[in-house]
Amino acid sequence: MADQGPRTRASEPEHASHGHGVARYFIVWALLLVFTVTTVLTGRMDLGAMNLPLALTIASIKATLVVLFFMHMTEAAGTNRIIFVVSLLFALVMIFGVFGDLWTRSPMTLPNGVPSTLGPEL
Amino acid sequence: MSSSDAHATNPHLAHHFDSIEKQDYAARLAMWLFLATEILLFAGLFLGYSVYRHFYHETFHELSRTLSITLGTINTVVLITSSLTVALAFHAVKVGKNNQAVGLLVFTVLCAIAFLVIKGFEYRHKFEEGMLPGQFYSYKEVTGPGANLYFTIYFLSTGLHAFHVIVGMSVLIWLTLRIKRGAYSPNHYVAVELGALYWHLVDLVWIFLFPLLYLI
Repeated sequence: MADQGPRTRASEPEHASHGHGVARYFIVWALLLVFTVTTVLTGRMDLGAMNLPLALTIASIKATLVVLFFMHMTEAAGTNRIIFVVSLLFALVMIFGVFGDLWTRSPMTLPNGVPSTLGPEL
Repeated sequence: MSSSDAHATNPHLAHHFDSIEKQDYAARLAMWLFLATEILLFAGLFLGYSVYRHFYHETFHELSRTLSITLGTINTVVLITSSLTVALAFHAVKVGKNNQAVGLLVFTVLCAIAFLVIKGFEYRHKFEEGMLPGQFYSYKEVTGPGANLYFTIYFLSTGLHAFHVIVGMSVLIWLTLRIKRGAYSPNHYVAVELGALYWHLVDLVWIFLFPLLYLI
């Protein structure tokens, strides 16, 4: 039991950082609502080519807020952060791998009914 | 403190773990690994969506306009709010306010039910209009290749998400009952933490599904 004293004291600052108030949850919630309103308004404005990048940017900001603060990624162990980030990397590899194929296909290999302007001309 | 002392003084410590810190560390590690597989599962559906949106851009755009933006937005707000109350419930367990945690979790479960009911109304509307996958598609306003594919992806992704809502809701109900019985305390709360993480993942997936299906 002799080493319990120092350990308790050493864990105190850590406990203080975990014991932040609930105010930050309400701030994150309010920000998420603001971003939801923003994405709904801009989504229905029909901004053309800007629509998709803008919607994905706002969704990514919202997801980052949820992961960092609601899911406590700011306090998570390093291993868990690596697991999360690597899963996102692999999702991106999958998506860009497939699109690398799609963007470089000849029109004849596309499914029926797809406008023939897609893809490079033969 | 030797490990035999730790096992004698802490009934929550399993015999194959040296200390409660290591046990909690292993539980969190496993949960994040599981969440990683969930992210990749939904990433597959997002990829399918992206590919067919790339092929049938105009059709997908037209059909996204047939979804109810009002119901979609209400459901987004419902899920974001339920994520807040789960985070607050976890905080309440950590500081020992178990009654407050129970109230917050009950509210979260009600949010989950509200989400499913609203989703049910949306599904019924699509069944009535013939906005269905594959050969069952009979919606007259938008035709042409890709129209039925939009609803294949719509039902697969929202259906899988709704299934996650049901699972998450069940986990939260189980946790609520356990908290009521006094199973958790400021020294022992990792199960609540992991249940909350799962619920936040459900919110996370919807944050991407909502703009992709309803807005663009």
